[in-house]
Amino acid sequence: MIRAGGPARAVLLCAAIAACQTPVKPGDPVRGLTKDQRASFDRGQVVFDSTFTPATGLGPLFNSDGCGECHEDPVKGGVGDEVELHASAFHAPVCDPLAAEGGFVFQLKVTPALKAALGIDSEPVPPNATARALRTTPVLFGRGLLDLVPDSVILSYADPDDRNGDGISGRPNHFVDGRLGRFGRKAFVPRLDEFNNGAFSAEMGVTSPAVLTEETVGGKPIPAGVDPVPEPEIDQAVLDRTNDFVRLLAAPTPLKASKDAKRGRKIFVDIGCAGCHTPTLRTGDSPIAALSHKEVAAYTDLLLHDMGPDLADMCLGEATPAEFRTEPLMGLRLKPNFLHDGRDTTPEQAIQSHGGEGSRARDRFLGLSPSERVALIAFLKTL
Amino acid sequence: MKVLAITAVLLSSLLTQAPSSLQPAAYTYQGTVQAVHPKTASFDLVIGVGYALRVLHMRTSPVTQFAGDGARLSLADLKPGDIVRAECRMTPTGLVADRVEKVEPSGSTQERMQ
Repeated sequence: MIRAGGPARAVLLCAAIAACQTPVKPGDPVRGLTKDQRASFDRGQVVFDSTFTPATGLGPLFNSDGCGECHEDPVKGGVGDEVELHASAFHAPVCDPLAAEGGFVFQLKVTPALKAALGIDSEPVPPNATARALRTTPVLFGRGLLDLVPDSVILSYADPDDRNGDGISGRPNHFVDGRLGRFGRKAFVPRLDEFNNGAFSAEMGVTSPAVLTEETVGGKPIPAGVDPVPEPEIDQAVLDRTNDFVRLLAAPTPLKASKDAKRGRKIFVDIGCAGCHTPTLRTGDSPIAALSHKEVAAYTDLLLHDMGPDLADMCLGEATPAEFRTEPLMGLRLKPNFLHDGRDTTPEQAIQSHGGEGSRARDRFLGLSPSERVALIAFLKTL
Repeated sequence: MKVLAITAVLLSSLLTQAPSSLQPAAYTYQGTVQAVHPKTASFDLVIGVGYALRVLHMRTSPVTQFAGDGARLSLADLKPGDIVRAECRMTPTGLVADRVEKVEPSGSTQERMQ
């Protein structure tokens, strides 16, 4: 395994970058955009903030009527209080994402026309699902940078057989077509624009040139006459603008570290958190200079790790029920709850919920003195 | 069969349109095999964009070519979970595969050895 040579040095680099620049606030675009790129960001934000109705393409199955409805706190692109329902069927080693039954995202809302036609309030989970899972809204800040981390970098951190004996394996997930995944709590989706384009269908029920057909109800087509808008319900320009906005959303600058937080930064590395929460990743080539070859204080390796039976829920792709992608910690201070399903409300609880490959670091955390724990949490709250 | 042949699903990132409108429209899909149906010489393929997944039902014919690992295969060699690239044609009765090739996931051991 090729672990980044000096996690401690990388953490310090993150801090140095933060100290030398005017802070980037949540919702800001990345620094150094051209005038045209900034205009694209602004145009995209208008789409992101807009809402759909059944007359403009919403549903018939949906979770939300607009991107900004879920990604709203503290500003557009952030988190939301919505929790959605996913499900799949695990028949080891094969994971069935229930694509034949409408996919693993189960929409919790329906349009009045669909309710009138079928008498349902949400998409029913089929009986062949073996697990259900709750999912909170992910933060979008800085995801354009994660999109540009080369696959080779992600794979360089993989150690599926734990050859270095540190108790941390880490392996990549793949999309249905075999490409390396990185987005979503199970690292299932390869590219940011695909994540966004898929969300128009899976989250809002809006068809587009990327996904031309509506979601189904348990695999059965939407009844005739329920969806009044012809496909595609939005055009490529709407997708492009949305993708521009999300791609160019900056990662907020970490807060200035207190004395405690500086101490906590070292503890973070010393107790092994950085074994999965890799402090920095570097982007590859991009036609957007502001995103190209940049250090990003991501605190993730974008790999799957076994988090133990207590956190296990559903499979997805090659991810077993217990495997989750290392959650990026950038923007952690903006989150009101933690872990994939939002079960914890403090960073301390989230650390204590770590199992499996996170057990060793969790146990070291539990063995810290009270002041050391305070320092570690102070550091996390700067991110 | 509960699987719907959503043959109108033309996901742009996975699609190659034939240049001539005089020939049946040809497409290339890459996805995960969901099920194999020996009795009907067909299989179901999961494709998608992000979290929006769809299932394609694809028939094979006696002349469909199967390949993988440098060897000739058959429909019986496909199993759920396999990733395949399928070249197919739209016909009045649905998609028919001309060539089906098993592929390795990106970054897999086999791929790195090639």
